Amino acid sequence: MWKKLSHLLKKDFRLMLSSKFVILALASLVLYSCYINFVYVNLDQEIYPVYLYDPQAKQTALSDYMTRVDTRDALESACADRYSVGIDLASDQPEFYMLASGIDTMDHYRTIWAKAVLNGNIKGQAEMIGTNSRSMKNRREITAEFLFFELSAVGFLGLASMLFKEKQMGVIRVHGILPVNKAVFILSKLLVFLLSDLVFTVFLTALNLGLRHGIAVLPAVLIQAGILSLIMALTGFFFAIRLPDFKQFSLLYLVIAIFVTTPVFLAGQTGVSWDWIVYHPMYHLFAALKAAYFSVSTVKTSYYVTCLGMVILLFLIAHQTLTREMSREG
Amino acid sequence: MKRLKYQLKNIRRDKMCVLTFLLPIIVGIAVSLLSGVSLQTMSETSFGILKNDLSSETAAWLKSNGCVTEYETIADLHQAVNNPSTQMIGVLRAGRGIRSFRSGDELEVNRVIADTLPWLYESRGEEHMYKNTVVPVSSGNDGLKSLLIVITLVTAMFMGCTFNAMNIITEKEDGVTFINRILPMTARSYLIQKILLGFIGGILSTILTALICMKLTLSQVVPLILIIILSAFISALAGLYIGHFSEGLMIGIVYIKIIMILFLAPPIFFYLMVPGHSVLFQFSYLLPSSAAFYGLMNMANGSAIVPGKDIVILAAHCIVWLLLYLFLFRRQKE
Repeated sequence: MWKKLSHLLKKDFRLMLSSKFVILALASLVLYSCYINFVYVNLDQEIYPVYLYDPQAKQTALSDYMTRVDTRDALESACADRYSVGIDLASDQPEFYMLASGIDTMDHYRTIWAKAVLNGNIKGQAEMIGTNSRSMKNRREITAEFLFFELSAVGFLGLASMLFKEKQMGVIRVHGILPVNKAVFILSKLLVFLLSDLVFTVFLTALNLGLRHGIAVLPAVLIQAGILSLIMALTGFFFAIRLPDFKQFSLLYLVIAIFVTTPVFLAGQTGVSWDWIVYHPMYHLFAALKAAYFSVSTVKTSYYVTCLGMVILLFLIAHQTLTREMSREG
Repeated sequence: MKRLKYQLKNIRRDKMCVLTFLLPIIVGIAVSLLSGVSLQTMSETSFGILKNDLSSETAAWLKSNGCVTEYETIADLHQAVNNPSTQMIGVLRAGRGIRSFRSGDELEVNRVIADTLPWLYESRGEEHMYKNTVVPVSSGNDGLKSLLIVITLVTAMFMGCTFNAMNIITEKEDGVTFINRILPMTARSYLIQKILLGFIGGILSTILTALICMKLTLSQVVPLILIIILSAFISALAGLYIGHFSEGLMIGIVYIKIIMILFLAPPIFFYLMVPGHSVLFQFSYLLPSSAAFYGLMNMANGSAIVPGKDIVILAAHCIVWLLLYLFLFRRQKE
C-alpha cells in the first residue's frame, strides 16, 4: 500500500507542477506580500485636523494639531471632508465650524477636541496593556486574512482543476479497474495539497511577519492551516467528483468566495457584531487561525474534536462519492 | 437577428451563465439589506467601561462621545481592549476624574483620543461658551456601504466578460469554431453577436443591481446608464480577448481571475489611498474600470456633478480596445 501511495503521490505532484496553479500561487504570494509590506502596514488614520481662521491674530500659541488658514472660504473648504474641524476667531465669539459626519457622537467629540486644541490643554499618556504595535497588528491581521482566503478559495480551486483534468483524461475510469484502494487515491491528493498549502503558509508568514515573529507563531498557525486545508480540499474533492464539468464548479467557487468568505472577513476584521455569525462554520476556522497569529489560545478542545469529526465525515463522503462515480463510469 | 436568437437559445441551456447574471443581483440585495447601523458603529469611537465603576454623569459624558460597552470584570475589559479587531479604549474611574488605557495597536486617531481623554473630561464644563455650527450633509455616512455597492456594480459589469470568455472557450472546445469557419458567417457578424450577448447580459444585470441598491435622482439616470453601457461594452470586449487567447477552460478561468483582480483592486486602492489630484491617480485612468468606478462612487455618494470626464475616458477606452482587437484579428486571419 505504501508503495502505491508513493507512486500516486509522485504522479499528483507532477500533475500539480504541470498545471498553471503553481504559478498562480506564486503570483499571489508575491502580490499579497507586496501589498502587506508596502501598503497595509502603513495604513493609519490621523486625529481630526483642526483649522484656524484668525485674522486679528488673537491666538498666539499654535498647537501642533492646528493649521492656520487665511480666509473663511479656505476654512470651509478644508472642512469639506466631513472629518476636519474649523475654528473661526474673526468675531467676538469663537465659532466651531464643521460638516456633519453622520454620527452625532463623533461630531460632539470633534467639537470638544477642537476646543481642547484651541485652549492648548492636551496632554496625557494612556496606559498600554497590549503587546503589539500598530504595524505588527496590521501584519498579523492581514496575513491571517490572506492565508484564510488563499486556503479556502484558491486551494479549493486547485484541487478541483486537477481532478477535472484527470477526469477528462479518463483517470477515474482507469482507476475503477486498477487494484488501487480508493482511500489511497484520495489520500495522495490530500497530502499533496496539504503539503503545498503548508509550504505556502510558511512562506507567507515568514515574509510578512518577519523571521522572529514568524517562527514564534508558526507551530500554532500550521495546525490551523492544516485543518482548514484538509477541510477545503475534501470539500473541493467532493464537488469536483460530483459536478459534471469545471464550468459549474467555477460557479460554485464564485459563490463560496463571495458568500462564505466575505461575511467572515467583515465580522473578523471590523468587530461588526452579528449574532448569527456563530452559525457560520467558516467563521470558527477563521477565528482560530487569527487567534493563532496573535498567539492567543482561545481555541477549545471541542473545536478540535469537531474539526476532526468533520474531516473524517468529509473523507467518508468523498470516498462514497468516488465509489459511486467509478461504478457509474463502469 | 435570427442568429442572435440562436445564440440566446444556446445560453438558456447553460445554467452557469444564467446564474452568473443573477449573482450580482443577489449580492446587491444582500448589501442593501446590510443594516446601516451595524456598519456605522465601525467608525464610531468605542469605549469600554467596568460595571458599577463610573458615575452615571461620567458614563453619560462618554456616551455623548462614542459608543460605550459595559463589562463585568476587569479581565473581560482588558480582553476587549486588546482584541485586535476593535479599537476600543478602556476607561476607569480615578478619584474624581477618569483614567484611560489602550492596547497599543490602535490607529493614530484612537491613540490621541485615549491619551487625552482624561484631560478633555476635566475641562468638560465650558462647552456653552462657544458658537457651534454643524452643517448638515444630505447623504448619511454610509461610505462603506456605497463602496460595497459600487464594487458589486463593477463586478456585475464584469460578468459580461466572464460570460463571453466562457461561451467562446466552450465553443472552441466543442469544435463549434471549426463549424463556424465553413458556415457563411463573417468574422464581423460573429464579433458583433458575441459582443452583443455579453453586453446585453452585463447591462441587464448591472441595471437591476443599481435599481436595487442605489437611490438615484432623475438627473443621474442618464450618466449612470451611459457608464453602464460603456463599461459593459468594454468587459464584453475583454471577454473576447480572453476567449481568443486561451486554449482551454482552465487557463481561461485563470485569465479571468487575473483580469478580475486587475479590474477591481487598483480602482479601490487608488480611490481610498491616493489623493485625487496626484499624477499617480491620473495614471489609474489607464485601466478602463477606474473611470467607471470613480464615476459610480461619486454618484453613490450623492454628488450632483455629472461625471463627464469619466464617461469620455470610458468611451476612449472602448474605441481603443475595439480597434486593437480588430487589428489583431485581421492580422491573424491574413
